[in-house]
Amino acid sequence: MRVRFFVALSVLLMGAAASAHHSFSSEYDASKPVTLNGVVTKVEWMNPHVYFYVNVKDDTGKVNNWALEMGAPSGLQRQGWTRNTLQVGDIVKVEGSAARNGTKLANARNVYKDGKKMGAASSEGQGN
Amino acid sequence: MKLRLIVSVVAIAAAFAAPLAAQRAAKPSAPTPHWPDGRVNLGPEPGGKGHWNTGVGNLSEADVKMDGAFLVNRADLDKVAPFQPWAKALVQYRLDTLGKDDPHPRCIPPAGPRQFNTPYGLEIVEQPELKRVLILSGGGSRSWRTVYMDGRPHPTGDEVNPTYYGHSVGHWEGETLVIDTVGFNERFWMTRRPTGMVHTEQLHLIERISRPDFNTLKYEVTIDDPGAYTRPWKAGWNVPWTTEEVEEYFCQDNNRDLQHLVGGTAE
Repeated sequence: MRVRFFVALSVLLMGAAASAHHSFSSEYDASKPVTLNGVVTKVEWMNPHVYFYVNVKDDTGKVNNWALEMGAPSGLQRQGWTRNTLQVGDIVKVEGSAARNGTKLANARNVYKDGKKMGAASSEGQGN
Repeated sequence: MKLRLIVSVVAIAAAFAAPLAAQRAAKPSAPTPHWPDGRVNLGPEPGGKGHWNTGVGNLSEADVKMDGAFLVNRADLDKVAPFQPWAKALVQYRLDTLGKDDPHPRCIPPAGPRQFNTPYGLEIVEQPELKRVLILSGGGSRSWRTVYMDGRPHPTGDEVNPTYYGHSVGHWEGETLVIDTVGFNERFWMTRRPTGMVHTEQLHLIERISRPDFNTLKYEVTIDDPGAYTRPWKAGWNVPWTTEEVEEYFCQDNNRDLQHLVGGTAE
């Protein structure tokens, strides 16, 4: 309980460091939250945003490959990430906001791996 | 249970944040560093490290309530700057469409005041032997501006070649670096906040940069653009120092924003 509390607290405080080079709301809609569970198929540890891709089964059983945007590598490193944190084949849960362009794209707010909440250096809530 | 946890996290975070903020405010910064000849040092001390941690800062004449790059109250736009009608209409459109047309995510340089509120850092490097100051942007397209300190005049007439960063000349007024810039093109948005602020090729900036203490860069700018505003106006903000080095960042690297920037309609 105490551990969860401090993890939550540190995520809350670290959020202030996140930033981006585009306005969050020009690409994503905070009123359309998504939660995705699936298998990581690709990781692009690059600027200006780290992207990773997850195969997610929809309600009909069809598998869709979702693209997830996070912050820059430097922002993620400040939250404890490394370039090896996510690997192809990892099973993850992702909480985020859907893209406005209607594709299988979302801005990740939190990534969970092995039950651990890892943040995503997202610009959501920063209005960046 | 979950609700109680969230409530307690928020309450305790708030309780922690207030004293921490007070401590930060109360803890005196180290004094403004100087070079042996007495000039203010606008960077790290010899052997030290760090840079200016840009990202905050709102280009507005009056304090207005912001939600990131956007105004909370539409009516506050008149408090931001003395717009000419066309300029106000264009900024309102850009706000209403959620900044979807911003050139910056297309990796256009963060010129003008935007150099001082673009994320991923800023360094001010003096080259006194060359009579130049370089202002290096860590974010965006990772570009820089040269400020000529040798007394040269601005180009005039057909010599003017409008560019993103324009033509900057500077001098010291005591502890303040004063930079005068003209010759801007119109292909960038001159601030990150509020999004969409307009300018024309008539833009003339006077920037005053000082370091009141080790951890603070004070940025003040006068915006004189008779093409877009009814009179010159001022804005400014403080940029905090961080002891981390600037990390490599290139907007051009894996930029997928072109397909994603669809904007929308503000409520």
